[in-house]
This record gives sequence, C-alpha cells and structure tokens, in this order.
Amino acid sequence: MKHLIESARRQVPRTDRRRLSVLSAMVALCMTGTVIAADAGHSPARQWWSPGDGAMLPAKPEYANGFGRFALVNTDGPIDTRKHPFFEPLGINGRACVTCHQPSDAMSISVETIQQRWRETQGADPLFAAVDGMNCPHLPPEKPESHSLLLERGLIRVFLPWPPKAADGSAVKPEFDIEVVRDPTGCNLHSEYGLYSENPTISVYRRPRPVINMRYVTASKFGVSNFIGKNGTLAAINPDTGKPVNMNLMADAREATVRTQAASAASGHLQAARALTPAELDAIEKFEMQLYGAQIESSGAGRLDEAGGPQALGPMAMANGRDGLLGNNLSNYVFPIGEGWYDLPDGKDADESARNAFRESVARGHDAFFYRTFWIKDSMHINSVGLGNPIKRTCATCHGMHMTAMDTANGWMDLGTTNLPWALEEPANPWNKRKAQMPLFKVTCHADQPPHPFLGRVIYTQDPGRALISGKCDDVGAIVIQQFRGLSARAPYFSNGSAASLREVVDYYDRRYNIQYSEQEKQDLVNFLSVL
Amino acid sequence: MKIQKIINHLAVITTFAAAGSALAAKPGDRLSFISCPIVRDTASVPCWLTEYDGELYYMGIQTDVSAPWQPPYLGHKVLVEATVSDKPRICGGIVLEPINSTVMPELDDSCNTMLPAEDKYQIDFNPRPPGPSSGRLAFDRPPPNAPAEPAELPDHQTFEITFDFDRSISFRHPGVMMRIVNYAQAVNAQTIEVTGRRGATLLSTGETITEGAAIAQRRAEEVASLLRGVGLKANVSMKWSDTPMDADGVEDWKNRSVTVVVSK
Ligand code: HEC
Ligand code: HEC
Repeated sequence: MKHLIESARRQVPRTDRRRLSVLSAMVALCMTGTVIAADAGHSPARQWWSPGDGAMLPAKPEYANGFGRFALVNTDGPIDTRKHPFFEPLGINGRACVTCHQPSDAMSISVETIQQRWRETQGADPLFAAVDGMNCPHLPPEKPESHSLLLERGLIRVFLPWPPKAADGSAVKPEFDIEVVRDPTGCNLHSEYGLYSENPTISVYRRPRPVINMRYVTASKFGVSNFIGKNGTLAAINPDTGKPVNMNLMADAREATVRTQAASAASGHLQAARALTPAELDAIEKFEMQLYGAQIESSGAGRLDEAGGPQALGPMAMANGRDGLLGNNLSNYVFPIGEGWYDLPDGKDADESARNAFRESVARGHDAFFYRTFWIKDSMHINSVGLGNPIKRTCATCHGMHMTAMDTANGWMDLGTTNLPWALEEPANPWNKRKAQMPLFKVTCHADQPPHPFLGRVIYTQDPGRALISGKCDDVGAIVIQQFRGLSARAPYFSNGSAASLREVVDYYDRRYNIQYSEQEKQDLVNFLSVL
Repeated sequence: MKIQKIINHLAVITTFAAAGSALAAKPGDRLSFISCPIVRDTASVPCWLTEYDGELYYMGIQTDVSAPWQPPYLGHKVLVEATVSDKPRICGGIVLEPINSTVMPELDDSCNTMLPAEDKYQIDFNPRPPGPSSGRLAFDRPPPNAPAEPAELPDHQTFEITFDFDRSISFRHPGVMMRIVNYAQAVNAQTIEVTGRRGATLLSTGETITEGAAIAQRRAEEVASLLRGVGLKANVSMKWSDTPMDADGVEDWKNRSVTVVVSK
C-alpha cells in the first residue's frame, strides 16, 4: 500500500502537492476495491471487472484515478454485459477481453491494478494465465517472479512466428537475420517456445492498448491508399471489404481490423477452442465502435466537461469529434482547447486560484506539445518520409491526428523506445543487483539490402516492432503510436512499459532529442497529458 | 585493378586542384557531386546547404511532405544534380535550382555539421513554419487523378518512376503507383510491361558513379509485385537491364528508373 501511494505521489504534479492527502485517501479506497462514491449525479464506479460478471456497463461510468477521474461514454446507452462476447470468458483460461481491457483503466490495464489483482487473488486471477500472463509458460505459475514483466511493467507476452507470415499465410522473406542476445524470461531460447524451436517463435512483451475511441483509431480518411505512405509497399486489406486500412492497430499493425484483431485475441489471449461466430464478432465490433473515453475530471483543473470548457476534453468530445482528420495545423488542431484557459484571473478563494493556476499550466502544456520546437533526429519513418534528418519540429509532427495524437495512417515510427542506444536498459556493473528484464535481439541486415539509414546494418533491439511482421530492416523498432486518451488511468507508458509515469515519458523525450525543457515546461506537459 | 583505381583517383585530384575555386561555378552551369549536407538553423525553419569545391551551395529549406524538393539526411552523403542559378544567395549559399538530390545509402558519421542561427540569415519565403501549418500542407498537390471519362482515355499510357540512388520502392512512390493502378482499372488493362533500369551519374569531376548491379532487377520485381499485389487483372511482364545507363551529367537522375507501360 505504501508503495502504491508512493507511486501515486510521484505521479502528482508538484504544483498540486497539497491535494496529496485527499489523493492518498482516494488511492487507498481504490486499493481496497471499495466503490468510490461519485459526485452527486455520476454513476458509481466499479473497480475490477471480472469476466462473466454480468453487470450493466452504464452509459457514462466514471472511475477515479491518480489524477482525477476517467469516464467512458457508450453512445448506444447502457451495455448489458450478460452473454456479451467482450465480457464473457470464451476460452479455457477464464479470461475475457475485459480482463486486460478494464473500464476503470481506460480499457487498458494499469500496473497498479495488476498488482492489486495479484494481491487479492494470490496470483490466481486468469489475468496471470500461463499463455501470456507469464514471462514464459514453462515457469512455475505460483511465483511472482514468473510474472515479473506483468507485475512490474504491465506487459503481456506477444509471441509471433519467425519468419513472419503474410495475411494469406504465405511466408514473408525477411531482409535480416535475428539472434537472441539476452533471454531473461527464458522464452526466446526455450526448446518449445523459442526462436530455435520446432515452430520458431519470437516473444516480445507489450502493454495492452486502450480499446476506446476506436472510430478514430481505425479511421481511413487521410493518408490511406493501397500503398503504405511510409515505404510504398502494399497496405493491409480489410478482408471484409477488400479496401486498404490505415494500419494503426496494435504496436506492429499486424491486425487489419477490429474483427481480425478480436478473432486473434480470442484464440490467443483467451485460448478459445473455437473461432468466434460472426454474431460474436459483430457484437465486439459494435461495442468497440460506440465506446469513447477520456479523462473527465482533473484533481488540479476540476471538471473537464464544463460547458464552454476546452473543446477537446472529456469523453463527449470524443463521441462528437471528427475522426481521420489531420490536426497538426491551425484549422483543426490536434487538441483544440480554445482560449479559455490562458491568462486566468486570481480566483475568489485559494481553491479557485489553484484551479486556475493548474488550468493555465495545462494550456502552457498544450502549447509545449503543439508549438515548442526541438530537433527530431534519426527517427525512422518520420525523418525518412521527406522531411529530412534532422527536422526542427514539435511533438505534434509525429502526433498529428486530431483528438488522439496518433499518426493519421500507418503510424509506426522508431522513437528509440525499444532500439538501442535509446531503450531503457539496466546499467551493467558490479554494484547493480538488478538484472536486465527485457529480451535483447541482434538484427543483421542482409548484405544485398541497403542498411537502415540511421542504425546501420546491425541493430540491437528489445522489440523489433513492425519488423516482426514486415521482415524489413527499416522497420526494426518501429512501434505504432497509441492514442493519448485516458493516460491518467493506465500507467506505465510506451508499448514496452518503459516509462512508469507521465513525467518519465516527458523525461524520455528530453533525453532522446536533447530538448532541454525547463522544469516548468516538463510540469506543464505532464499536466496537459494528465487531462486527456 | 586497385592501382588503376588509385591512378584514377589521383587524376581526379589533379583535375580538381587545377580547376581550383578560381573557376567558380557560374549561373547556368550544371553541377553533379557527392558531399555532406549541412543544416543551418534560422529563426524559422532550417536551411540545407552543402559544400563543393570550396564553395557553399544552398539546396532548400525544411517544409513538409508535400514539398517538391525534400531535404537529405545528416549521417549520410548526398548526391546533388543541379543547375547553378543567378538568384541572390540564401543562408549564405549559392542557390542551386533546379535541384535533384538523393541520399547515399551507406552511413557516414562525418556528415554531422549543424550551424546555429545567425541574424543575417533569414528565411522570408517560408511556406510552412517549423510547427503546425496554417492550412493542411504547405504545397498544393496536383488535383488527384481528375475523373476523365473512360471513353477519352488513351489505349496505353506510359509512366516513369524514378528512384533514389541504389534504392527501390519508398515513401516517394504511393502517388505514382496509385496513378498507374487507377488508369489500369479505368481502362480494364490487359497488359502491363515493367522495365527496370540501373542508373549512372557523370559527376562534375569527370568520374561516373553507377548503381549496384542488381538494382534494375530489384526495381522491376518490386514494381511488378506491387501491381500484382493490388489485384490488377492485367498480365504483368517485366524486363530489366544490368548495363548501366549512359551518363552525360544532364539530369542523370532520370536514369534511376522504371518505365511502366499499361495497355488495354
Ligand atoms: C491477456 C490480456 C489481453 C486480453 C485478454 C485481450 N487483450 Fe486486447 N490487447 C492486449 C495487448 C497486449 C494488446 C497490444 C498488443 C500489441 O501491441 O502487439 C492488445 C490490443 C488490443 C486492441 C488494439 C487497440 C489499438 O489501439 O491498437 C484491441 C482492439 C483489443 N486488444 C481488443 C481485444 C478483444 C476484442 C479481446 C477479446 C477477444 C482482447 N483484446 C483480449 C491484451 C489483451
Ligand atoms: C519522432 C516521432 C515522435 C515525436 C517527435 C514525439 N513522439 Fe510521442 N510517440 C511516438 C511513438 C512512435 C510512440 C509510441 C512508442 C512506443 O510505444 O514505444 C509515442 C508515444 C507517445 C505517448 C503515448 C504513451 C502511451 O503509452 O500511451 C505519449 C504520451 C507521447 N508519445 C508524448 C509525446 C510528447 C509529449 C512529445 C513531445 C515532447 C512526443 N510524444 C513527441 C513518436 C513521437
């Protein structure tokens, strides 16, 4: 408990420390699983949602988190989850989709929730199933160490065949060789599960992505054609319509649509013995496409859905917003926040003054995101798509999609989160008792290929990302950008969970691009991200 | 063989020395050379320069993906094929226009010069600031394949696809590939012939550089497989020549190409 409050404390913006005691109390409440009494008029929040629980999912449920409250909006109204394939355990391990996509956690799952669940069930929850809730299925399931990546970084094992298989089942010819350099989970060298086994498989470890606002995530209105904008190769096709898709699903864009995704999730995560029926796929798709989510209340800034407040904030803004729109411009904006939170007067009392100060910080954070330039260098699929290397631009250059800050289409890029030298690594020295947690692979691009333009012919990576699907040298470590929504409800961040807090996200960028943010800029950015 | 190479090299160096910067390039001169790009920051967007034969040249500025000219990469040399213009210097460099530039594939750590902004270098023709654009993108794209009536479409059409040095399909190509696909679908094309070429460039030093031996085939195969991959019904045939194209120092970049002939 102390540890969790500590981590909540780390998340709390410094300007807001005096609210900490309230927050600790809130965290304490969450931890005991008690339903948080919502403000009058708001639906009560449930914390852990068990598969097959059968409750109604209200039309606009709200859930407390370390920065305030997150809310979902079901535009179809309250959802009856009885017999609903997203909520029912469909396979042998007792999991449902909701196991890893929890309403309280922006339909992802935070590492705090995972730890809480471990304590409450002594590790017996289906979340910890051997198939991918362990570092590797062969480990002893009762030991927390066997689940260390899930418990410490919120990571699920994603295992993919090597060489990759195309959508039609044919083998993709990779442009590189891959070797296992380090195997702390024991999975990549395992005789049954590993790269050198009978069915050569690569295991990487990734965060569950938030299943909200999928209308935006799957929008195909800008930058989508038969050919991928980033490299001119063939775009993935929606098997139901024959049309190209925007390739923004999953860290590596391996799924074309939410339907193909659901089918794979059922057989993979849920270990369903049978394929989902068309009716089940319809129900999952329908549910996902009407579901919106965003932070709705900020412990610093107050209600985010006030009439006349910033247009981009709150889940109704997502439900009503335009998808597939390029926002890195002064006509649409990525996050239109209007003028209302700039230059606010002193409040009537201390509370209002503090709230106004926080709102101004959010507005400054928005400006840091949208206008603050820095040199973006050696980042594959942004420097390589016609802008040049380096470019003097802003966060919104990569994060350009209106309302979500995703890339409009085929949004994979190498930010350095998984590739050396920028990926988070344990310092190796005689005084550090901790061991590296993540696998490490060595990628050697074939001699008949041009080298990767920024990393050369030999690349060390914790997760080859898109390259595990495309087999392309240039795609090593390229990860599809996630949406920025509900961030407060779902730490840690980045696909490999390497940023424990929003502050660590900002610090990562500061190091990666030598941005030289001031302390104030960093706090403003954190406050801004926390209200999305 | 090696010795011959060294002699060639020496010959190049001597010509170089003899030419010296006394014979600075004049407006209208064509220049083809390989050198490091240089980035100069300004109060607005950075400009891209390069040095050749003791002179500083201006290539262009950072804009966005819609731009007709796109900046190269630090960390790589750049092959420049351009004409010297009579415009006033920009960012301190003699303006090269028109210009074609392509990133050389191998990495080169020595290309790492970034110069700070100085008040005397201002960019006042900036179609896109270093942040959000004012509209959508900086440059208008040609209107997307104007819907011509099928009856007026010719029986066959030829498309030229050009490439970066020693590279095949890239981010540059979705536009032209879609034009081919749209035309082939509109006329219900029966045959598509793909011809791959291996380029060469005559440098201003007198040396000719050629692309790798397998590049013509690779280009032809990639273009053909993309056209088959989108599900065109036409019979796609391909050929290529490993013999490098003749290079004469005039727009040699056009030789790094594939020609696609689409017929009804
Ligand atoms: C064991 C945990 C787990 C379960 C159970 C699970 N998922 Fe996921 N989900 C993940 C992970 C991990 C990812 C990201 C994988 C990646 O990036 O490669 C993900 C990604 C997704 C995404 C992509 C979102 C985006 O923006 O890219 C969707 C949609 C999704 N899951 C839906 C489902 C559905 C539907 C089910 C049930 C059939 C399900 N999930 C069950 C862990 C889980
Ligand atoms: C070079 C392109 C690029 C730039 C510039 C960039 N990002 Fe990102 N961003 C990415 C990519 C790629 C990811 C996904 C990486 C991953 O998951 O490993 C990402 C992910 C994120 C996330 C999502 C985290 C999550 O887990 O949901 C946040 C928040 C974020 N970036 C904030 C920022 C901020 C703030 C800036 C400006 C300081 C910025 N980004 C600049 C490419 C970029």
